[in-house]
Amino acid sequence: MRNKLGTISLLVVGFLAASFPLFAHHGNASYDTEKTVTVKGAVTEYIWANPHVFLKVDAKDESGTTVHWVIEAQNIVAQSELGWSNVMFKPGDQVVIDVTPVKNGRPIGRFRGRIVINGQEFKPLGR
Amino acid sequence: MPKQSILAISTVALVSLLTFLPALRAQSAPPASVDDIKVATWNSVPLHKPAYAGIKPAPAPRRDLFGIWDATGDAAGGAAPGIQNTGAHEYPAVLPGDNSPPGGEPDESKIPRHLPYTALGEATLKAHKPTGMSVRSVPAVLGNDPLNVCDPPGFPRIELYEFKIIEIAQTADQVMVLNQMFRTWRTIWTDGRELPKNPEPRWDGYSVGKWVDDYTFVVQTIGVDERTWLDNAGRPHSSELKVEERFHRVDHDNMELTVTIDDPKMYTEPWLALNKFPLRLQPRGFDIREMYCAPSDTSEYNKDIGDPSVAPEAK
Repeated sequence: MRNKLGTISLLVVGFLAASFPLFAHHGNASYDTEKTVTVKGAVTEYIWANPHVFLKVDAKDESGTTVHWVIEAQNIVAQSELGWSNVMFKPGDQVVIDVTPVKNGRPIGRFRGRIVINGQEFKPLGR
Repeated sequence: MPKQSILAISTVALVSLLTFLPALRAQSAPPASVDDIKVATWNSVPLHKPAYAGIKPAPAPRRDLFGIWDATGDAAGGAAPGIQNTGAHEYPAVLPGDNSPPGGEPDESKIPRHLPYTALGEATLKAHKPTGMSVRSVPAVLGNDPLNVCDPPGFPRIELYEFKIIEIAQTADQVMVLNQMFRTWRTIWTDGRELPKNPEPRWDGYSVGKWVDDYTFVVQTIGVDERTWLDNAGRPHSSELKVEERFHRVDHDNMELTVTIDDPKMYTEPWLALNKFPLRLQPRGFDIREMYCAPSDTSEYNKDIGDPSVAPEAK
């Protein structure tokens, strides 16, 4: 019975994952949805809040200069349903994150899928 | 083997079978009601189809809307119906065949389903600059959506924007709707009072309701503050807005909500914003996660992401 309930809750979350649009507040206009950038660096701050959960990461560019990335997700309710929590990231974590960058070239993006935290790939619930 | 031993073994086997058979059956049979589905304590994730497949819901209780209801609904290959980022469910402001429009269109002329705007309605729509996923949406800093500064969504936008979880409670004189989004509640009077004449505007207006039959509760609302939008696409209303909600309890586990917008200043005829929109009862113990718009969180978000993401090109 336990297993069955486990399966059910996974399916539930799977449906939810498929059912939430990624972005509620400002549409796609400012994002270059064709592009993926892989951000590799150390977490400096994790903001678990509405309207959107977001993460700050210090990464090095090709010239070795530190770039302060800001990467956003959806709201707290939607992220919780994917298995995220307020303690998912902490300052100092080494992360590798695929992001969709904004069009204006600033180091701002939104989560696109792959998230690796201290060498462990994060699997969203139901996937 | 002695006869007695064989008898003893057979008896044990038979007793075991009889003991465990009902348990086995209970495991494979679907739950009889949504109330039989066990969810983890503090669970706040709504049930979706696989969890309640096979349930044959009991008949609807009479004149009873009590419970926690999920309005997000099952996604049928697209966005969940309750999350109405592109405008009221029945009138999404999207281009044909496109579920995530880029925005930036000057008007709604290219969308397939048009609303019957008056001239004033059309002009007021154009003055509203939505920033979500709809066809006219603009970048956040150029928009004027009252929700972007955490103004109250008001009624009926609470049902026509991110319609998530609601809890309904009844007293002798009222039906109360508690909303997950923005943590607001509405009072619907059922004590037989009339709607007020020339009311002072309120974000959620003034509501009275009555049972038109044992399973259908009809609510009339007026007096809604003109600063609110009807939906995420910026559809306007005036002080003459009248909204009718029909909560129809189909059976124990299911309800349908129909919302009609009537505003002769903005629309040439009434229109259905939600049409038999499904709401599903959640199991006992479901915990509604809070969902506030906190101005300090929102301004921090805008400082770090909202504003710089649409600022001029970086060097």
